[in-house]
Amino acid sequence: MEPKVEASQPQFRSGISGPKLGEMDFGLDQIHGLISGLPEIDRSSFTALLELPPPQAVELLVNEDFPAKPVHPPPFFPSDTALIDRASKFSVFASADNSPESMTNMSASRSVKQEPLDRDSHPNSSSPAVSNHSTKSSKRKEREKKVKESNKKSKKMVENEAPEERGEKLPYVHVRARRGQATDSHSLAERARREKINARMKLLQELVPGCNKISGTAMVLDEIINHVQALQRQVEFLSMRLAAVNPRIDFNLDALLAAESGSTIDNSYLGMFVPSIWGEGQINDSRENQYQQQPWHFDELNQPSWGREEQAPNFITPDNSLLSYDNSPANSASLHSNQLKMEL
Amino acid sequence: MAESSSVSNNPDGNSDLSRKRRTIEPEHPAGAGGAPTEAGGPPKWRTEVEQQIYSSKLVDALRHLRRPESAQATSSAVRDAADRVLASSARGKTRWSRAILTRRLSLRLAHINKKHKRAAKPAAADCRRNKPAGRNELPPLRRKVKALSRLVPGCRKLKLPNLLEETTDYIAAMEMQVKALTFITALLNGGGTVTAAAAAAAGSS
Repeated sequence: MEPKVEASQPQFRSGISGPKLGEMDFGLDQIHGLISGLPEIDRSSFTALLELPPPQAVELLVNEDFPAKPVHPPPFFPSDTALIDRASKFSVFASADNSPESMTNMSASRSVKQEPLDRDSHPNSSSPAVSNHSTKSSKRKEREKKVKESNKKSKKMVENEAPEERGEKLPYVHVRARRGQATDSHSLAERARREKINARMKLLQELVPGCNKISGTAMVLDEIINHVQALQRQVEFLSMRLAAVNPRIDFNLDALLAAESGSTIDNSYLGMFVPSIWGEGQINDSRENQYQQQPWHFDELNQPSWGREEQAPNFITPDNSLLSYDNSPANSASLHSNQLKMEL
Repeated sequence: MAESSSVSNNPDGNSDLSRKRRTIEPEHPAGAGGAPTEAGGPPKWRTEVEQQIYSSKLVDALRHLRRPESAQATSSAVRDAADRVLASSARGKTRWSRAILTRRLSLRLAHINKKHKRAAKPAAADCRRNKPAGRNELPPLRRKVKALSRLVPGCRKLKLPNLLEETTDYIAAMEMQVKALTFITALLNGGGTVTAAAAAAAGSS
């Protein structure tokens, strides 16, 4: 295990520092992944690792045995290991069952990892770290000390994930106080709650246009409320228009739905608009028919149009020439639709 | 959003909708919005697949709205149908969708309750009970949160983080609803054939 770890260490470092630019998207996906449940835990733990500084991320990777077998251990185990690792940075262990396993894992990995880490960051604490089998508490202490100092850089994203995960997986939320912050149980709980709220507000901010520049919860909430009201008004307005059009739904929709079902099953979304164009040509046609009481026209023109999706503009012009219009198709169609609306 | 509360608490709402809904085409297997694992989240509203499914179901519901009862297709009826179809495609994973689907049921229940209890309690007293005489705006944040909870259906008694989750899903769903409604309206009106379709395409993209 050790030589493999040493060999794979540099490539992980390079691999992790690469996609750091896409942090925000990964955070979003990851929060969605967390919210949506367990099966995405491998992806979420990997993207969570992107936010951690490389040495700790490598430790986590080693613990999870990630590259070799992502799913090979029993399903709950990798998640617990990753979770416990992260939880150990910020908290005491909550579940007694997993602590022995994870402790052995962490001590094993830490025994491998201590030397390069200590060389890099903490030369003063290297001496107690070199011994492989020193007490676990001392290892955890210095690891948490390192973690606390690096916490300030990586505070936000990981804290956002950890409370959410802990809320879903572990029964308790034990939060260790970070450097320079109060250690009340009340303030800790409050901080966890605030982190949850802030994470969701960030999601909302990205959803509502124009909220990115606004700072402050109250203003953002105002924008959100306005946006919801605007959307509801739009839906009402559109449904009113649709209700006005509704008498025409019966015979139009038969053709339309057939057209749409044919296109939605086969084509992509863009393909919907091609049949929609000739579908509207059909609507004009059917409206004309109703106006002139020639329903057989509808069927006759229906048949050839099925095969002529690409020639939509061409289809419209002979149609209009058939119905003796001199204007362009758009004008004639709108003119006639206005006439029909006035009739209704 | 993976709320484990049971979906089965609104069987009437579901059967009501299934009576109205008779889909012609089978639902896409990627109906969960392209999520490879059918995990417990609500669908991703932004995908085009969802919009296609929604618009076809809505069209179907509108046709059923028209024919059997010969009721006037009022705008509120259309809007209710649109909301119900939207809520049904959420597959019961969010609170607002369940609240929309059980709206009719609770309206009927409230109506029955009102009939029986009208003599006993004047209704006006209930509204005023929680408001103090001098309405103070001291926690303005709380007021906004309450306003938001009134806007999102079924979320009046939620705490803030859950409320924000519901709002996220609700906004995404409503945007898809608006797109689909615009598309269908443009299709049916058909005024200016190429331009309407182009506008719908530009608006929906």
